[in-house]
Amino acid sequence: MTRNETGAVQKPEKSGAGLADAAQIRYLSPADTTFIRTEGRMLNVQIGDQLHAGVYVHCSFPHTNKRIYLSVRTAENEEVGMIRSLDEFPKETQELLEEQVQLRYFAPEITKVLSVKEEFGYSYWEAETSSGLCRFTVRSGGGNVKLMTPNRLLVVDVDGNRFIIPELDCLSDKEYRMIEVCM
Amino acid sequence: MNLNFTLPEEQLFAARQAVGESILYCVPADLTYGGRRTENYFVVGEHRWALLEDGVVIESRAIADAEEYKVVPLIGSAVLEGDEAGTKFILTRLSMKHAARYGYIAQILNDISRKRKVRIYNDEDEPICATCGGQLVPGTRVCPKCMNKAAALKRLLSVSLAHSKTFAVGLAVIIAASAISMAGPYFQKLLVNSALQPPAGQSPSVPMFLLGIAGLLLVLVGGEGLGIVKGRIMARVSSEIAADLRKLVYERIQSLSLGFLTSQRAGDIMNRITSDTERIRNLVQELATTAIFQLIILVSASVLLFSADWRLAFVVLLPAPLVAYLQRYIWKGVLWKLFRKQWRVYDKANSFLHDVLSGIRVVKAFGKEEREVTRFRQYNSEFAAATIQTEKVFSILAPISNYLIQMGQYLVLLIGCGMILNKDMTLGELVQFSGYAAMIYGPITWLMFMPRWVSNAIISIDRIFSVIDEQPEVIDSESSVKHSIRGTITFRGVYFGYKSYEPVLKDVNFEVKPGEMIGLVGHSGSGKSTLINLVSRFYDVNEGEILIDGVNIRRIEQAHLRSQIGVVLQETFLFGGTILDNIRYSKPDATYEEVLEAAKIANAHDFILRLPDGYDTRLEENGSNLSGGERQRLAIARAVLNDPRILILDEATASLDIDTETAIQEALQRVTRNRTTLAIAHRLSTLRHADRLIVLDKGKIAEIGTHAELVARKGIYYNLITAQRNMAKAKTEAAVESVV
Repeated sequence: MTRNETGAVQKPEKSGAGLADAAQIRYLSPADTTFIRTEGRMLNVQIGDQLHAGVYVHCSFPHTNKRIYLSVRTAENEEVGMIRSLDEFPKETQELLEEQVQLRYFAPEITKVLSVKEEFGYSYWEAETSSGLCRFTVRSGGGNVKLMTPNRLLVVDVDGNRFIIPELDCLSDKEYRMIEVCM
Repeated sequence: MNLNFTLPEEQLFAARQAVGESILYCVPADLTYGGRRTENYFVVGEHRWALLEDGVVIESRAIADAEEYKVVPLIGSAVLEGDEAGTKFILTRLSMKHAARYGYIAQILNDISRKRKVRIYNDEDEPICATCGGQLVPGTRVCPKCMNKAAALKRLLSVSLAHSKTFAVGLAVIIAASAISMAGPYFQKLLVNSALQPPAGQSPSVPMFLLGIAGLLLVLVGGEGLGIVKGRIMARVSSEIAADLRKLVYERIQSLSLGFLTSQRAGDIMNRITSDTERIRNLVQELATTAIFQLIILVSASVLLFSADWRLAFVVLLPAPLVAYLQRYIWKGVLWKLFRKQWRVYDKANSFLHDVLSGIRVVKAFGKEEREVTRFRQYNSEFAAATIQTEKVFSILAPISNYLIQMGQYLVLLIGCGMILNKDMTLGELVQFSGYAAMIYGPITWLMFMPRWVSNAIISIDRIFSVIDEQPEVIDSESSVKHSIRGTITFRGVYFGYKSYEPVLKDVNFEVKPGEMIGLVGHSGSGKSTLINLVSRFYDVNEGEILIDGVNIRRIEQAHLRSQIGVVLQETFLFGGTILDNIRYSKPDATYEEVLEAAKIANAHDFILRLPDGYDTRLEENGSNLSGGERQRLAIARAVLNDPRILILDEATASLDIDTETAIQEALQRVTRNRTTLAIAHRLSTLRHADRLIVLDKGKIAEIGTHAELVARKGIYYNLITAQRNMAKAKTEAAVESVV
């Protein structure tokens, strides 16, 4: 199973069939799978006549494409099944699953870098993000500020909170200069 | 850890309405379900919890309605989950900042829900600065905002006092050196005014000429000579101070408890001993040599300038701050950034090279040489481009920066020449003046760069003293006694957790008789290793007590206690040195005979004698020139040499193949005779000689008894042993089939 450059799903070719047999990945299809949002804001999934309560949705490619190859897993990290692409599912299910992905992968997007001050091995950031104004501290070195793709920057603060600059190109010169020191 | 934040007045009312008058715990819930940062609060009362947003209760329930509250860490955030009659629900969402706090809260909710005593032994430090109340960076105890720099330097000074005599000599040399270099321009004036270009009406004087030349020579040779002496003295002082600090830190680290040491990364501790002290050495050396010297030169040159001609002195000094600022901007603002970028590209190329060259077998195996060449070409040209850019800018800016430094002299020449033409000044005076003017700019520029590295060094000083000031958690009390162990171990109602909100051991009770061998069984994470750590008293229990021969281990001297306990771990660690040194580690004064006996008991004697160098065999790093089984047998010999009354075997044979294990088992059987032994093993067959087995499950003792008793009970132990047998059987069958 491969992905082409646009991120769309390609069906396995003949030569890959051996791998697929060995891997035995269970793909979920809209036909026999129903996702239910519980009152307690958790996700249950019904596959055939089997109900799995309290499952989480994991992304295979959280930085490059969050809509393909999603893995539905129990709290014990056992895979219930995989979803090839959200597009295969009806609109409501897509929204529900996207919400679950947002819940699991929380990384506010930095919309504007206000200041970055580097001092004594830590940098002190202040930025406007998609989840409001954030001030956070990042340990210098040790891969806490790293490029996930050539244009996408991940910043992990000292507590483990994650922030994303989705497109470095879109930063102003001034903003870029501020964060460059930390990269 | 703060679990009781103060609620704003307007929220307090709503909170009380929701959970009752007494609010036991209150913590921020800083993330909405939709992912917005907010200032919500999560409040716990005696029977109910509530989530508040701007003084409005969004949700509130009875705590006893649900159980199994827990924090589920997601990626970049976490949720507090509960379980209501088999249905899970989310109580609130939080950022990672409060994850640990909610660990406690979940524990509290569970205790309230099950009507248990709330067990919070809160000794985890809240990372908050004691002075300004600001949040500290986890893992550090230094607040960069309000660190008292003067206090830090003072402490360094107190350590340095031991070397004050040498330091004073060095200072005298520095003063002499600066005096000599200040004399240079004076001799130049002498030379010009009395010999080369005497003022009108005077004839050139040969003796004065000779004096001037001799003086200049003296300045040159004397200055250099004193420079060498100065360098040597100050290098000695700074190295000795650094060595003192290293010694202090190292001694403190050795005496600190395992709890502190495991909470720090090994690299961090290494850094404190090596690079932090090195940075301080640099600070002392720079301060003592360059800084003092530059300051003296700056002050005396300015004084001399002003006393020579105050107007001219002003002209020289006025642009000095500007020049220094420009200089700093050029270096810090432009050149450093470029160099940094160049280093980054260089680093990337370097790690790529390292990666590919160390994995060259893989590259070849997959036939990807072409691809790697292309990738390297790309890195290489990136690096070349970065270098060219840096060098280009450097070649333009470096001369400008040099020119700036000499600007003062141009100004002096400009005005000085005018004054000479007006007969206000002699040529000799001008030469002397421009000599002093040239001395001013260097120190000013240098001083502009000083704050940054001084503050960096101060951080190092603070980091070092934070270790030196650290108090061990496990300490001997004044009433501690030496106790010769007979071998009874008693656990009475022991509760313990590394983080107190997560007890790893819960209500553990048992007694081991002298000479008994106890096998500890359980899934990983069930608390087996923690239990034996407590026997060695690497940590103190949170609740309950551990007795050895009826004496609480808190009352036994730590060193004396541990010297009577032999430990063999799964990961043996052998130090550099010979086999003899390593076996002797537990008892440095052991005779050859004792060492041979210990080796014999551990089944190590025979393989050691097969080695060409016998007991004198030098071990490579962590004994990598021996096999795993051989290393393990050395570890056993090391553990038994001291004739310990209690022996602890933590997965001692897990990483070995069956044959080696059999050999070691045989050794262990001999060793454990008449010693109280606690052994952990995943491979249950290893424990077949155990007198009794203790089965741990989630931190509690689930089963205890002999092998036969536990098998008859058909509980956890029975299941484990059947599973292992089936696996072994399946393997054998598979092997037989493949042969057929």
